[in-house]
Parts: sequence; structure tokens; C-alpha cells
Amino acid sequence: MSSELAARFHDAIENQEPRLRTLAAQGRRILGYFCTYTPVELIHASGFVPVRVMGGVRTLTKADTLAPSFLCPYMRAALDKALSGEYGFLSGIVQGYTCDAACGAVRIWERNIPGEIYHTIALPYCDSPSSRRFLLSEIDALTVKLRAIGGTFSEQSLADAIELYGKIRRLILKLYQIRYDERLSIQASDFLAIIQAGFMTPPEDYLRMLEDSAPITGPSVASERGGTRVLVSGSLVEDPKILDLIEESGGLIVADDLCTGIRNFEPVSGFGLDPIQRLIDRYMNRAPCPCRSRVSDRAPFIEHLLERSGAQGVIFLFQKYCTPHLADHPSLVEHFKAKEIPSIAVEMEETGVNEGQLRTRLEAFFEMLR
Amino acid sequence: MEKTGKSRKRLRAAKELNRVVTEYYVECGRAKAEGKPVGWMPPMNGAIEIFYAMDIQPVFPENWSPICAAFGLAERNFEVAEGMGYSRDLCGYMRNIIGYVHGLMKEEGTPLGGLPEPDILLSPGGGCVPVIKIFQALERRFPNAKVYPADLPQVPTEEIRQHHVDYAIAEIHRLIDFLSQATGRKLDQDRLKEVVKLSDRSCELWDEIMTYRRRIPTPFSAAEIGIMFVMVTRQGTQTAVDFLTTVRDEVKEKSAQGLGVLEQEKIRLFWDNIPLWYNMGLFNHFEGMGGVVVAETYSSAWSLRLDVNRPIEALALKSLKSYPMVSCVSVDKRVEMVIKACKEYSIDGAILHRNKSCLPITLGQMDIKRALEAELGIPSIVIDADHMDSRNFSVEQFRTRVDAFMEMLLARKS
Ligand code: SF4
Ligand code: SF4
Repeated sequence: MSSELAARFHDAIENQEPRLRTLAAQGRRILGYFCTYTPVELIHASGFVPVRVMGGVRTLTKADTLAPSFLCPYMRAALDKALSGEYGFLSGIVQGYTCDAACGAVRIWERNIPGEIYHTIALPYCDSPSSRRFLLSEIDALTVKLRAIGGTFSEQSLADAIELYGKIRRLILKLYQIRYDERLSIQASDFLAIIQAGFMTPPEDYLRMLEDSAPITGPSVASERGGTRVLVSGSLVEDPKILDLIEESGGLIVADDLCTGIRNFEPVSGFGLDPIQRLIDRYMNRAPCPCRSRVSDRAPFIEHLLERSGAQGVIFLFQKYCTPHLADHPSLVEHFKAKEIPSIAVEMEETGVNEGQLRTRLEAFFEMLR
Repeated sequence: MEKTGKSRKRLRAAKELNRVVTEYYVECGRAKAEGKPVGWMPPMNGAIEIFYAMDIQPVFPENWSPICAAFGLAERNFEVAEGMGYSRDLCGYMRNIIGYVHGLMKEEGTPLGGLPEPDILLSPGGGCVPVIKIFQALERRFPNAKVYPADLPQVPTEEIRQHHVDYAIAEIHRLIDFLSQATGRKLDQDRLKEVVKLSDRSCELWDEIMTYRRRIPTPFSAAEIGIMFVMVTRQGTQTAVDFLTTVRDEVKEKSAQGLGVLEQEKIRLFWDNIPLWYNMGLFNHFEGMGGVVVAETYSSAWSLRLDVNRPIEALALKSLKSYPMVSCVSVDKRVEMVIKACKEYSIDGAILHRNKSCLPITLGQMDIKRALEAELGIPSIVIDADHMDSRNFSVEQFRTRVDAFMEMLLARKS
């Protein structure tokens, strides 16, 4: 299904393991993270390559030995992968505190998968001068830990990293703008691949890949394909099949509220007198995720995306057992109902989704929207 | 054995506990009627002492859930919550309380008078996601309540540094300011010291009571763990200290006389994770084969001391430590504590409750299992269940597996 244009991004995903292994063998140190609340700029500024740990689509054989079946499929797949030795190139995990699953996963990895650093940053929930001071101390504590394993943090390197990631975010957000205007020549699964490739590619290389991808913004095929404009909302989407299924059933994904999507990139950076303050400001003002914010913060964000993209409805894509998203769902639906925004929810299980049944549900949903 | 069932209690103090529970809920209702401010808050943090010191009535929605389970109200609450779209995969405490506030709470005749509406909501940032989300849902249900958005670093206990403590202290000061503004009440420093002293005393008594369980035979089992009610709802009051003193005296006397739960105690068991509130009778099941549950992870949440001379700092530390000590925030610490407990309480085998309703306490359990085997050679068994939702529990399966486990332990011992 994937288009030629997105081929190199798909390739980056498929061959991530050998590439990152080679990189590690050449002496580059790679640190994993789970969630987009992790300050990748800081990791990069300390001389490490931040790589987002993904679970991928796989049959699990080892996760049961350490985790219950009711851990989200993403975390189970990631753990399974690590236990199978496929994350051997990582020097450890640095993670921003988000959900209970991620919090526990860091500790379980620490006990069972060799690494030099396993660390969770305790992010404040409130924004005030004292919470920012606290976050500053958390960042200092992390740089000390990173230094202890050979990290080389400096204010200049942080400024550089912020600029680098800022460029990447700006380019991706440009793609979003084109997508909202229905001028994007690729389907949603390719769009996902472009983003996912960024999780597992050193940012300098990824920036180059993006800069070379001008053709993607060429004449639209999306508008030719047509379909009912929808927004997808949820945590991680790893299997592009689900997006294809939506578009094959008559939908056209024009916007997302995913942590494998827009929540990575908004805002591009933060404000402040020095790089650390700018970093702190960005993570305080991140696009709202249910782990760390209220429905009253999220709803306006999603509504703005609906407006901007002209999407007529919302498709919630849940990782099974994902508490933060499941817990917000009833209130969000109620909120949207009052505004006559239709929505539908799909749960992604470890074994994937029941395609036939889902197609029927989606078709009925799009029928209703037309 | 029924899917739901009450436990057989042996302590005289169990009767006293019923009185303490009833009185607490009567007090909550009376506070409302008399116009005293009522504040709902999450458990396991230092805000309870601040509330008592400022004479604000604390109410704990999370404690109300076990009560609902014991009174058989949980099914109805689940039905309401699930009808609203709350997934069955969410923590049972969350589904129970949301169902309750949107259902039974609006009706007359709830046992213990039900819960009084909140004037204040202490909405946590910190702790587990369900508890954060419970309060966010309560904010929407009670739009007139004044909301305090709290913040607390989620950090493993072994990694607590000064800046964590400083921030937790700053947050307590912010809470005090908020409460003063919301209620017009001032915090009296002497009164706070008094409350913290009572709180510390209850922790001390708690530890002492637990120590008697090291005796063989143990004077009481996990079937009596309802005594922790006072640690959840009454910390910082004379009521808690008086009640725990009664319990302490009774278990002390029993130990001195060599009286145990069983005359012939053959197997000593450890329980990991929250009990099955709708079937506390399970703890008696082992007794038929000479087994007693003598220790559990959950009780460690109150095994800490408070420095009475630095009351605010003491409460900050309590807030920072209580939940992480029993959850996946500190898996290393938890493993260490279980190992220590298994040694001190002469444990023969462990029951690990794989709790569908509580991911944070379940994560890390397999590491505990491994460590027990590797470091102490103590075998353990994993039981699939749920602390609130009896639909996720099969008594038959429990019995079959536990009986086989007990037989194995007995064979090992003989
Ligand atoms: S937010 Fe949801 S999907 Fe993401 S790690 Fe947590 S439970 Fe899993
Ligand atoms: S700690 Fe466990 S039982 Fe308590 S609210 Fe959180 S998930 Fe539920």
C-alpha cells in the first residue's frame, strides 16, 4: 500500500535494528524512551542518540514472564522485544513520568535488561515558578546521572539540540498544514511511517530525510481518493494497517491527536532566557495528553484540530487497557456530543483488530457522517 | 465457598472496628449537616493531617469502595459507570466511585448514610493514573466544589533527594494557603504538631502490632486487615491511637499466652497486592489446611515515622513515600521489603494476587516472585483476581490452585 515517496521512511523503520546496532558498534551511545514527554533535546545534548522504544507488530513469547496480560499491548510488545535481545543497542532508558504502565516498565527493564541508566523524570503537574524550579532540579539531577556514564552536557549543546529538534518539528508541522488542506499526496499509513522513522533515526539524519522529501508535498492524491474527513485520537498507533482500514472503508484521515502524531511536535519550542528555561517552558506547555492533563484542556485542543482540518468526526484508537485514554473517553464523548461532533472508538488488542467487524462499523460511521 | 463472603474474624477488636467505621461515616454526614467544610481527598498522603488540624472533614472516595464491596453495592455502581461508558478494564475503585456519585449517592437509604457532597476536592497530580482520573471525574460531577490541583513528585523512595522534599514542602504550604482561603480557617501550628504526633503514634503502634505477627503461632491473620481503616481515614486523631492501642493490647496478650489463629499452625503465608474486598473470607480458606496469611505488602504503606519537630517536612516525606513504597514506582524497594518481611515473619510461601484492577501494584510482581525463589527459596503462586470486581475472579480456580500449592508446601515441610 505504501507509496514510493514514503519508501525511505518505511525502510528506516524496517531496518532500524541493524542500523542502530551498527551505530552503537561505532561508539554512538543510544538511550531509549517510551513517551513523548521525555526531553529528547537534553539526551541529545548530553551526547546520546535518543530512540523511542516501539513494540511493533509481533507475536509475543516472553512478555508473560514479567508482565500481566492487562498491561497495554504496546508496553508488552516492547518488553517482549527487549527480552528477545532486540534492544541490545540501548544503553538504558530515560523517561518522563506519564502513566503507571511506563513507570513500572522502566523499573522492570532495569531489573531484567542490562543497561547503564534507567531513569524516570518526575515531571510537575502544575505550572508555577516553584514547579519550574523543581523541574530545573530534576533536569540537573539527570544531567549529573548522564555525566556519570560519559554524558557531555553543556548549555551550548542544549541550544544546538533545541534548534535541531525545532527544525524537525517545524518541517513536520508543515506537513500537517498541507494535510489539513488536503494537499498531501500520501495516505495516513505513510504519514505515520514518516513520523515513526523519526523515532528511530538520529535527528541529524532524519532532518536530512525530511528536507529531501519535498515531493511528498506535491500534487494531491488524497483529494482524488476522497472520503469522509476524520481525526484519529489516541495514544500510540504502531500498526499502520488500522489506518489503511479506516481509509479503505471510506474515511480520509486529515488530522490526528496521537502520541505517534501531533503531540510530539506541538509546540516547536519554548520561551525563556536560556536554553534550559526554553526546554522547561516547552515541556510545561506540551500538547495535552490524558496522562498529564484534564479533559477540559484536551477538548479545546482537539476541537481546534477539527476546525483547522475540517474533520467531521473523531475515531478514538485505544491501546487495550490504556487507563489514561480509557478514563477520559466518556467525558470527551459527552463533551463532543453536546457540540454535535460524532465519534467512534476502536480498541487495538495484542492480536490486532477484528478486520471484518471493524470495516462494518467504520462504514456505518462514515455513512452517518455523510 | 461463595464468590463473595465475609471473613471469620477472631480479634475482639473487630467489633470495635465496626463501631469506629460507623462513627466515622456518621461524623462525615454530621459535618455536612452542621456546615463544617467537607473535603474529598486521595489516600496515602500528608494532607489528611492538615485537614484534621484545620478541622476540615476529610472524606476518602477510595475507602468508600471497599465499604461498597462489603455491603454488596459495587455491582450496582459498576453498572452505572459502565453505562456511562467507563471501560471494564479500568480500576474497580474508579468504576465504583464514579458509579456511586452518579447513581446511589442521589438516592436515600445508603448504608452508613453514604458520602456527603464535597465543598473541596483535593485533585491529585501524583499517585496512580486512576486516582488522578477519579478526581478529575469528581470535579465534573461536583462543579460547585473548590478544586485544589495538587502536585507531588512521583519518585522511587530510594531516589528521593532534597529538591523532591523541598517541592513537596512548598506544595503543602500552598495547600494550607488554599484551605485557609477556601474555608476561612487558619492552621494553628501547635494543633498541627499535636496531629502529627498522633499520626506518628499510630504509625508506631501499627509497626508494633505487625511485629506480634512474627510470633509462631501468629495471633492474627490478614482476615483482620480491616484494622487499617484507621490508617486510611483517621491518621492524626486520638480515635486512631485509641483503637490501635486496643488492638495492640489484645494481640500482645494473645502472643504472651501463645494463642494463635490456629492451634496447629503449619504453613505461614505472605499476600502480595490488595485483598479481595468482596471476599475477605478467602483469607480463612487456608486455615483448613493449617495455613495462615501472616503478612502482606499493603501494610507497609503505613510503616513510616513522622518527625514531630518538623511537622511539615514529616508530612511531605509521608506523601512522597507512602504510595511508591507499595507500587511500581519503587520495584527495587518493594522486592527488598517483601524479602525482609518473608524472613522476619518466617514465611513458607507467597500468594501473589495478580490484580486486574490495579496495574501499579501488579507490575513488578514477577520480579518479586523471582527474587523470593532465588534469594530465599520461597515458592509462590500467582492468583488472577481483582480487588473490587468479583466478575474477574473464579473461586473454583482459586481453590484448585491454592490447595495444590498448600499441599506442595506441606510436603516440603514434612
Ligand atoms: S499511555 Fe496508554 S498506551 Fe501509552 S504506555 Fe501508558 S497505558 Fe500504554
Ligand atoms: S493504586 Fe491501584 S487500586 Fe489504587 S486507585 Fe490506583 S490503580 Fe486503583
